[in-house]
Formats: sequence, C-alpha cells, structure tokens
Amino acid sequence: MTLLEVQALDAFYGDFQALFGVTLHVDAGETVALIGANGAGKTTFLKSLVGLIDRRRGEIRFAGDPITGEPAERISRLGMSLVPEGRLLFPSLTVEENLLMGGLNRRPGAWNLARVYELFPILRERRRQSPNALSGGQQHMVAIGRALMSNPKLLLCDEISLGLAPLVVDQIYESLGRIRAEGAAIVLVEQDVKRAAGAADRVYCLLKGRVTLHGPARGLGLEQLSHAYFGT
Amino acid sequence: MTAVRASAPWSIAVLGVAALVAAPWLIGEGAQRFLSEAMLMLAMAQMWNLLAGYAGLVSMGQQVFVGLGAYCLFFSSIWLKVAPFWVLPLAPLLCAVVAAIVALFMFRLREAYFAIGTWVFSEVVSLMISKTERLGGERGVGLPTARLVDPRWLEPLTFWTSAAIALASVFGTYALLRSRVGLGLMTVRDNEVAAASIGVDVWRNRFIAFVIAAAGCGIAGAVSFTAALYVAPGFAFDPNWVVAMMIIVIIGGIGTLEGPILGVIIYFALREALTVVFGLSAGWYLIGLGTVAIAAILFEPDGLWPLVRGRLGGDWLSVRREPPTSGWIAAATPAAEGVRSSPSGLGTTPSDR
Amino acid sequence: MIWVETIVNGILYGGLYGLLGVGLALIVGVMRVVNLSHGEFIVLSAFLGVSLVGVFPWLHPLALILPVAVIAFGLGVALQAVLINRVVTRPDPFAGILLTFGVAVVMRNLMVEIYGADLRHLQAGQLAQASTGVGALHVGVLPLLILALSVALFTALQLLLTRTRFGRIVRATADHRDVVRLMGVNPGRVYNLVMGLSLALASVAGMLLAIRASFSPYSGVERLLVSFEVVVLGGLGTFWGAMLGGIALGVAELVGLRLDPNAGPLYAHLLFLVGVLLRPNGLFRVRT
Repeated sequence: MTLLEVQALDAFYGDFQALFGVTLHVDAGETVALIGANGAGKTTFLKSLVGLIDRRRGEIRFAGDPITGEPAERISRLGMSLVPEGRLLFPSLTVEENLLMGGLNRRPGAWNLARVYELFPILRERRRQSPNALSGGQQHMVAIGRALMSNPKLLLCDEISLGLAPLVVDQIYESLGRIRAEGAAIVLVEQDVKRAAGAADRVYCLLKGRVTLHGPARGLGLEQLSHAYFGT
Repeated sequence: MTAVRASAPWSIAVLGVAALVAAPWLIGEGAQRFLSEAMLMLAMAQMWNLLAGYAGLVSMGQQVFVGLGAYCLFFSSIWLKVAPFWVLPLAPLLCAVVAAIVALFMFRLREAYFAIGTWVFSEVVSLMISKTERLGGERGVGLPTARLVDPRWLEPLTFWTSAAIALASVFGTYALLRSRVGLGLMTVRDNEVAAASIGVDVWRNRFIAFVIAAAGCGIAGAVSFTAALYVAPGFAFDPNWVVAMMIIVIIGGIGTLEGPILGVIIYFALREALTVVFGLSAGWYLIGLGTVAIAAILFEPDGLWPLVRGRLGGDWLSVRREPPTSGWIAAATPAAEGVRSSPSGLGTTPSDR
Repeated sequence: MIWVETIVNGILYGGLYGLLGVGLALIVGVMRVVNLSHGEFIVLSAFLGVSLVGVFPWLHPLALILPVAVIAFGLGVALQAVLINRVVTRPDPFAGILLTFGVAVVMRNLMVEIYGADLRHLQAGQLAQASTGVGALHVGVLPLLILALSVALFTALQLLLTRTRFGRIVRATADHRDVVRLMGVNPGRVYNLVMGLSLALASVAGMLLAIRASFSPYSGVERLLVSFEVVVLGGLGTFWGAMLGGIALGVAELVGLRLDPNAGPLYAHLLFLVGVLLRPNGLFRVRT
C-alpha cells in the first residue's frame, strides 16, 4: 500500500527554486534512502513534506490525503514525523520535556515515553538534563525519540549519522531496525551512501534538486551511483 | 544631448537656491516660520535616517542632541553676550563630543537595547538639567541676546540658516554615503558579519555616523529653539522630536535620501490638514500619523518613496554604485542580475538602491 | 533608622518594579520583541481602574485588579493577533519595536483625548496610609501587600512556565518557532497568549503603581523605561533576575530621592547606565 506519494514536486525559497519535478513514493513499512551531495535538495524535500516550505508546486499525498498546500501544524497530526537536520532540540527544556513535546500529537501506537527509554536507556539516566549536556550521539537519540513519541506511520530522518563516530552510528542504525519492526516506514536522508543503501529497501538519488537515480538498494553499481550523485 | 541633460539638474539647483535666498522678500513671516520648521525637521529626519536606514542604529534618544544643541546655543550666547547666530557652530560641536562619549558605552548594547538605552540617556540629561538652577531648571530660560539681532533680520536669518542646514543634511549625507565610509556603512547594514569578514570596521563606521547624526540634530535643535526664543527641558528633550523623525522616515521611505523629503511633505501636509482644515487638536494629528506609520510598517516597510519613484521615472539622489561598463573589468565581472544580499533593515532590498 | 526604612521601602517598591518588568521580560524572552507600548498599557490599566471605580464606587480599587487584568489579557491577545504577529517572523529586528512604538504614540494621544492630560490617582483610602511595626521599623501596609503580591505572581509565573504543559510549549516555541509546528503547535497562538499574560501582569503593576503615585497619559514613557531597565539589569530572560533588578532600581530611586528630593527617577536611570557600562549582559546570570 502506498503511504507517501509525491508527484512532480517543485519547491522554492523565495525566488530560488530548489526542487525540480521530484517524483517519489514510499510504501507502508518500507525503508527508502534518499542520498545526494550537500545542497542537492534533500533537506528541502523533507521540509516540503512536513509543510515547512511556503512555496510548493506539485502533488503530495499521504495515506491518500492530499497535503500539498497544508500548513505544518495540520500535517503534523497525520502521522509523519521529522527528525530534523542538526537535531534542533529545545535547549530550554530537559531531555524528558523534549520527548514529551514530541508526544503532543500522539496517535495510538506502540511508542510512549517508557518504550523510548527502553530503546535508548541512556536517556532515562539523563532525562532531567538539558540536551546541551549530552553527547552528539545522545542528542540524536533524543531527536529520534521525540519524533517517535507521536507514533508516526512514516519517520523522516535527516542526516542522523552526521558528525558521529562509526560505533555510535551503528547504535543509531540498530535502533532503526527496532523502529522498523514496529511497522513504521522510514525515509533516510544521508550523505553516507553505504550506510543508507545498506539499511534501505530502495534508493533515490538527488542532484541539484532533481531525481537522478531510483532503484532497489541491492544491485546498485558504484559507477551508476557516482554518476547520479556527482553528475559526472 | 548629454550636455543638455547634464545641465538640467544644475539649472534646477541654481533656481532653487535663488528662490531660497529671495524667499524672505516674497513670502510672509508666517510662511517663513512654517518652512523653517519643515526644513529643520527634514534635517533631523535625514539624521535619523542616516542612523537607522544606513548605519543600522535605531536611536530613540536622538532628542537629547536636539536639546543639547539648543541649550548649548542659548547658554553660550547668554554667557558670551553674543548674538545667537555667531555661536551656532558650538552646538553641533558639543553634540559631537557628547555623542562620541556616549557611543563608547551605548555601542555595547545591541538593537532594541541600544534604542532604549539612548532614550534613558536622554531622560538622564533632561532630569539633570531640570535640577540645575544655573541652567534654568525646570522652567527653562529665554533668549535675551536675541535682541542683539536686528528684529527685521531675525526671521530671514532663521529661514536661511534652516535652509542651509536642510541642504547640508541632504547633500552632506549624499556625499558621505558615496564616500568610503558610506560604502562601509551600507555593507554593514546589509550584512554585518560579511562586512566584518572583509575587513570593514563596523564599529568605526557606525561611530562616525552616530557622531555626525548627533551634530546634525544639534544644530537643527539650536536653530529651532532660537526661533522659539525659549528653551526648557520638557520641550528640548521631548521624545516627540524622535517620534516625528521616525514617523517621517518610516512613511517616506527608510534607507533612501528622497524618503525623508517625501515624509516631511506628508507629515506637514497631514498636520496642517488635520489641525487647520478640520480644526482638530494637536493630539489627533499624532494619532493619525501614528496610525499611518503603523500601516506603513505592516504593509509598506520601505515607505512610500519606492512607490512614487516609479512614477517619477527614477531616483533623484541615488547612492547606488554602478559596476564599470567599459574595459576589461566589465568583461571579467559577471552580470549582477538576480543577486540578492541577505535581508536588511525594515524589509528593504538593497539592490533597489 | 531613616536610612534602613528607606532601603526597606525601596525593596518593597522594587518588587513592584520587578512586576512592571517581568511582563516585558516574558515577551523579550519568548518572541524577541521589545514591546514599546508596554508603558502605555500600564497606564491604560490605571485609567481603566479609574473608570471602573467611577462605575463601582463601593468597590475598593484593589478588588478591581482582577477585572482589569482580564481586560488587559484580552487586549494583549488582540494586539498580538492583529498587529505584532505580522512582524514577528520578519528577519528585521527593528520592525517589532517600530510597530509597537507607533502603537504607543497612538495610545498615548488617544488617552489624552479621552481622559485629559491631568494627573490622576487611584485612592486606596485607609490602606495607603496604614503602617505597621516590624521590629523597630515602620513599614507601610500597602507596600508589604504589594511585595507579597509581586512575589506571589512571580512564583506563579515561574511555576506556570516550568511545571505545566503550557509552559513547556511556550519555552519550546521560544527556542524553535518552526520546530514546534511539527508537533502541532501554532506559534502565533502561543504568542497571543503570552502577550495577553504579559499585559495582564503589567496591568496589575499599573494599578498598584497608580495607588502609590499619580499618573497621566504621559506616564507611560517612564513606566516603559523602568520596565526596560529591569529587564536589562536583571539579565535578559531571567525572571528572578528581573525581580532583583527591580529591587535594585527601587532602592536606588528611594535612596536618591532622600538625598536629592528633586531627582525623580534620575538615580534609577544612573544605576541602569552604570550597570550597562560595567556588565552589558545584566547584573545577574543570564539564562541560555
């Protein structure tokens, strides 16, 4: 069943066009990787999905509902959750309060505060601290946990491995496995192609705002990927 | 063809100056007084615009220099027993010195805090003068040395001085902005961080603008109160001075030289319309102007000048710099179309000016 | 003894100044806008109090604080929703203060037209004169009440912001206006409520101040400057800092008046300027 359907999406920052006719879909329960270099438009794409980009053209459907022109507040109730680039945690709130904020729009489902602490036990220890006191990896955990609290059908992850040591990234990706087991679909935006392709069912590649490659994760040749990634 | 075009602005300028010189013989005292007030207000507005529109400094205490200029003139005239117009240059001088000192600690405050900090400073000066009997205290003082000026020349002298100050404020600002300091100021206004990273001394450029604006308001205040023949702290340091400056600049067009001119015209037209034609009390015109200013900020943050400019077919006083059009430099410079710098004060787009 | 009493009274009224400032501190902290009409709303509340006293002469002014606060809350929501929300999202840091400055000019002159320029006073009758002995000191009952009320309101505000769901939402919106939208929060509505709260707090301070000192439509300027000085001295964004800043200003003003009876708020302003010179980030710790 198609959960997310994007047809010919254009996105603009003021007069500047960042996305050109992006077409993509995600089925329920599957993991899709979106790769590309810096500035390719990956974050813009995710922001367009959740309603944070003012000027959009094209069609976006989530679980059958058209959401192209909708504001972010309304889209947030539908079951899509974003783990933003740079985490963007609330520094004035404690770790636990950050998680609780994620739960404002709770839909019925498996995830709650206790389950998030189960997934990331270190957070329970540090739940009364400010996020600034946590390490990079732990902050990523808070960001993911915050997004999980609303029980999304689709989890959008923007560069969750950025700036982290490989061991920590392993931990994070392992948690993705458990999230997937609960039934959520995941869109993984990454610059690290190997990681993303390794965890995903299908891969899309973006270059300068356009989709340059689309296919199953397995069987993607290095040359093909380079071409799509760098445009050489 | 170009020779004819080039001489047109010059002939307008000569005619204008001639008209100003001849005016006291052509128009009555009432009209002279009205125009003097308007021209002084234009000068003050240009100063506020220099600060807010070009230096990125919103000052809500600018009235302190208006008042200090006035007090400086009154007391130097009285103590030195000299006709007021001779000591006029002392007013901007004192204000420049005070501004230089104030800048040292006010510049530590950013944005809104600077704005109100200058206001607090103004209140402090006002209160200190109110407490000082030698300076007239709360009641203020008159200007007995005005009698040293032949009464037939008092109004015309005031008129000519006001005109000179207004012209100096407009063309002086123009010259400043086309100089290196001006270029530095505009880069700071557009993007402070970028400006600093290319070596523009942010602090120094703002300092110069602040001192100049203080001097400009000082001399305008001095002449204004000379015409009134009376000064008191309540009037000299009245925040309504800066209210008027702000309203004029916001409605007219901030960050342009023509804006304050347009703003002054609108300000006085509205004031006369509301008080003379409709017979409303003074409070109502401030309410009206305040409402227009609010509307301007909400809907036309760049003021009315950009709207009018199109109809008039171009700028009167553009400080925009054109890229070179000849030689190898032009060949190497890519076309600047579509280049937009980051947002600057009050919704203005720098590429437009 | 006189000095100790002066200082104690300064502390008590300082609490009031803190209350004047905390509403402004709230706005600055949450939406980074300095509401320059804050002073005018303080004065408007006093005028509303005067009007209500006219309508309900048998009620003590202190009892009118609550209805005036409710009205002020409504006005704050309206002000934010209709005007300020339109400029909050603009990158330009001055649009907010220029807009609210325009509002202040309009309000000030409207009040002159409606109420006249004369000085007014809210009569608190016996209460204003009553004093009680605390040890060897004579302390006014009214100032003690005011301090108690200020502390109570400060505490309530602090609890609201740190212990409730609403407070959490407010703090999160102050941190990242866009990210909270992902959680279904409409930042504009949060701002409306915060502005309402700010003006409600200001109105309480305004009424209390009107009992202590006379006021006119032109008093808004002085109230604004005091509020602002409290915010800056206290360290932008902290609330107990605002209370302490208010106390410092109150003491400075009363001590100054005893030394120099014509000074008005001069010594409070001087304390502010010195404070800015020495510690531009505020006298007390700044919250991140």
